[in-house]
Amino acid sequence: MQTRLIRIVFLVTAIAAFARPVAGQTLPRTADGKPDLSGIWQAVNTANWNVLSHNAEKDVPAGLGVVEGDEIPYQPAAAAKQKENFANRATADPESKCYLPGVPRIMYMPYPFQIFQTPTHIAMTFEYVHAVRRIFMNTPHPDGELEWFMGDSRGRWEGDTLVVDVKDFTGMTWFDRSGNFHSESLHVVERYTPTGANNINYEVTIEDPTVFTRPWKMSMPLYRRVDKGMRILENECYAFGLEHTWLRPPQ
Amino acid sequence: MKHWYCASIVFALVVVVSNPHAASAQNSQPPAARSGAYAPARTADGQPKIEGIWNPVGTFYNIQDLEFQARFQNFRDDPTRRGKSLIIDPPDGKIPYQPWALAKSNEVLQHHEDPTPQYLDPNARCFMQGVPRHLNNREFEIFQPPGYVVIFNMAHHTYRSIPLNGGPHIPDRIKLWMGDSRGRWEGNQLVVDVTNNNDQPWFDVVGSFHSDAMRVTERFVPINADTIEYTSVITDPKVYTRPWTFKVTFNRNKDYGSELYEEACFENNAPSLELMLTRPGR
Repeated sequence: MQTRLIRIVFLVTAIAAFARPVAGQTLPRTADGKPDLSGIWQAVNTANWNVLSHNAEKDVPAGLGVVEGDEIPYQPAAAAKQKENFANRATADPESKCYLPGVPRIMYMPYPFQIFQTPTHIAMTFEYVHAVRRIFMNTPHPDGELEWFMGDSRGRWEGDTLVVDVKDFTGMTWFDRSGNFHSESLHVVERYTPTGANNINYEVTIEDPTVFTRPWKMSMPLYRRVDKGMRILENECYAFGLEHTWLRPPQ
Repeated sequence: MKHWYCASIVFALVVVVSNPHAASAQNSQPPAARSGAYAPARTADGQPKIEGIWNPVGTFYNIQDLEFQARFQNFRDDPTRRGKSLIIDPPDGKIPYQPWALAKSNEVLQHHEDPTPQYLDPNARCFMQGVPRHLNNREFEIFQPPGYVVIFNMAHHTYRSIPLNGGPHIPDRIKLWMGDSRGRWEGNQLVVDVTNNNDQPWFDVVGSFHSDAMRVTERFVPINADTIEYTSVITDPKVYTRPWTFKVTFNRNKDYGSELYEEACFENNAPSLELMLTRPGR
């Protein structure tokens, strides 16, 4: 039954893919006709400092914000918690501890990431703390009460848009350095729509009934890193400054 | 209340790893199969297909002396998992250290059971394991998207991507925990050249080490659908007197289905490590 459904969905989306080319652009496609998202990408914005619009400060670039309506619909207690987080951000931000940043924050941290794509499985490998996302296609979330920093991701194609449903999070990650936060009830739906060979429109819906009064959205472009010889390097945040503390060969 | 999946605490801190499923599949292939007669299916882009989840046979406590490590690890009395050494060249199974380097390595060996911080295996701190150790630890997955072989470890969510496009290595000044891998298929064998390694990972718990001049040439040889024979030739003129060869067998792991879990090692271990490293007497 499920196989048949998947087959029908595949047919419909295959037709949709041919019927709806992006205006004036030829998208690279995989053998099965889906947009080919593989390659190295990076967001270029200031959302990691603050997802809302904000002025510049020392070591903080100004930004127009990435949240639809420029407002996060916190419940009253959560709004107070966000203010407390902001006041303590230098040490309370999970990024300051080098933790895995969670989703969607990892997608707009100022480091590149790579997408590998097959029909059944899309993998993302990130430079920052060698984070990994595995997106299995057309499969259900696993049973059991999981709490993972990067959540559990399940993907499907809707026309030329990759839709990823992510849940099973911890409550230990934030959205930015400004104390915007969620609980372990976070549910994220991401939509990756290529708008050309080198651009993806990334839109994400955030739902968390214990923290927000309603779902809300962020959106931003992702850009292909076309630099010569580009590859993902390493940013082992939690090893910095500790190198002297175990035995290494003399320099 | 939800509960945590934090098996990594046990694995990374105590470094006691027992790997029961690895032993069972040790096969007795005829010589023809061992010499490369096995032809795997192909991926969409024509690579010999070695995808799946694998486990190394042999463990990482002391790669030069597996009887030694049997004192610390539970082998379940399975003799197939014992042997003298994972080093097949030189024939004595020992890393051909220069004299100063042998002294350094012995220093760690003597202190590793109750380590002060400088004698604590970097792997226990959740740092990436480096090459070849990330293949000689626990389960890992091989994924073959077009143009690449990508390896994912469950432990420490380490990954390594191996491009097959013949591109050059990155500038020598850049040093990485996992190095810079460039691969090619020679028939059904995957050959990978790994440069740009930093000097921070060890090969095992007892301080077998290399410098940032290390270069590794790996061969992944599938000998049947469920077995890969892996060798790496390790060169490092700053530390060794000659190149040496490390060999381990990978068996297909059928316990996880097709999906590994997240192990947020550092996030879960940091408080315990802090305690361990700062307790009185450290």
